[in-house]
Amino acid sequence: MSDLPDDRELLAAEYVLGTLDPATARQVAMRAAADPALRRAIAAWEERLHPLSAMADEALPPDALWQRLTASIDTAAPVAAGGIAAPASVAVRAWRSLALWRCASAAGLALAAGLAAFIVLRPPPALPVAALLPSGTAAPAYMAQWQPDGTLRVFALRAVAVAADKDLELWALPQGASIPIPLGVLPARGRGVASPHVPANGTQLLISLEQKGGSPTGRPQGPVLYAGTLHVVD
Amino acid sequence: MVHLAATERFPGPPDPRSEDATLSALLTRCGAGDRTAFRRLYDLESKRLYGLALRITRQPTLAADAVHDALLQVWQRAALFDPARGSVAAWLTGLVRYRAIDAMRRRAREVTGVDLPEAADEAPGALDRLLASATGQALHRCLNGLEQGQRQVIVMAFVEGLSHAELAERLERPLGTVKSWIRRGLQALKACLES
Repeated sequence: MSDLPDDRELLAAEYVLGTLDPATARQVAMRAAADPALRRAIAAWEERLHPLSAMADEALPPDALWQRLTASIDTAAPVAAGGIAAPASVAVRAWRSLALWRCASAAGLALAAGLAAFIVLRPPPALPVAALLPSGTAAPAYMAQWQPDGTLRVFALRAVAVAADKDLELWALPQGASIPIPLGVLPARGRGVASPHVPANGTQLLISLEQKGGSPTGRPQGPVLYAGTLHVVD
Repeated sequence: MVHLAATERFPGPPDPRSEDATLSALLTRCGAGDRTAFRRLYDLESKRLYGLALRITRQPTLAADAVHDALLQVWQRAALFDPARGSVAAWLTGLVRYRAIDAMRRRAREVTGVDLPEAADEAPGALDRLLASATGQALHRCLNGLEQGQRQVIVMAFVEGLSHAELAERLERPLGTVKSWIRRGLQALKACLES
């Protein structure tokens, strides 16, 4: 993200205008997740330019759009301001659903700030560094992003190697809590994991190194290798 | 330069704050899972949002996808919307535009054989639609204070979702000129709106 221009105001303006190339737009979105001033600048530009939307003629959407929307919200619970909304039955179903990946690719990454929230997980410098952690770098290793279907998708931004007898496990630590909630084991191959749980804004996400199959106790047993805080980006 | 006495042409423009208060109240109810409120919000905003997406994508399927994904997110995240962020309508506009633009950037524009609409700023009085709201009137005044090239690229980029390269092609200007117009135009616009 270091190759972005420093001018936050101009970046925000062009991000909102939509003229940035997809790669730069993606970088702006990622930076906005950790930069409240950039988020405010984006919101201010959305407000300034919004009256221009009157320049496009209104058009009646097809009837099928509302039907599609109601079908979608049937499977996606609204996110409560303070808590976890997805019921367990939906969670188990969604966890296994290939539709997650379809939705994920449909949403794309390029305009992550257009999604409600995402987090960036960074290696915490004070924690043990394992072989899989590229030391001395501040670049995010993982990214998590809300999907239109209400799940959280976590994926590696670069290849992460794990010993054959180990697994990486994802956890959510809500603000003020001391015991993390297990969200699932990250797959050894593939692009990431989709968690149907819906952590609130400010929740810390942790990735720990565990025995194969994940921690048997429901609490992290191994070292926490990556951590990051969930920011709402709207 | 277009000078119009807005109040003569549009007696009593709608107050965007009261319109947005309605949307804001509906959003709060959506956050509590109220589908009737969601339907009302859809009825109020879907034509505007779909029209916006259609102008950018020029393809009904992509436009519908953009509005669907945006409104699904609105339903899911309604309880988290922070009114201090700005107006609900501007938030909705952003959600839909980002998706529509993203969809277009990820597939080559299929414009062969399709007549492009007139550039948004070419017709005299094209920006008069902005006069229908108080915030639009300020933007109208400030856009008209820009140099023509600056005004044109900003309006075309916003309304049609064009990239730097597409703007350069449409206006038959070098890429560097277009980028410079955008940068200076945006800076001047902000200064004017804040003055």
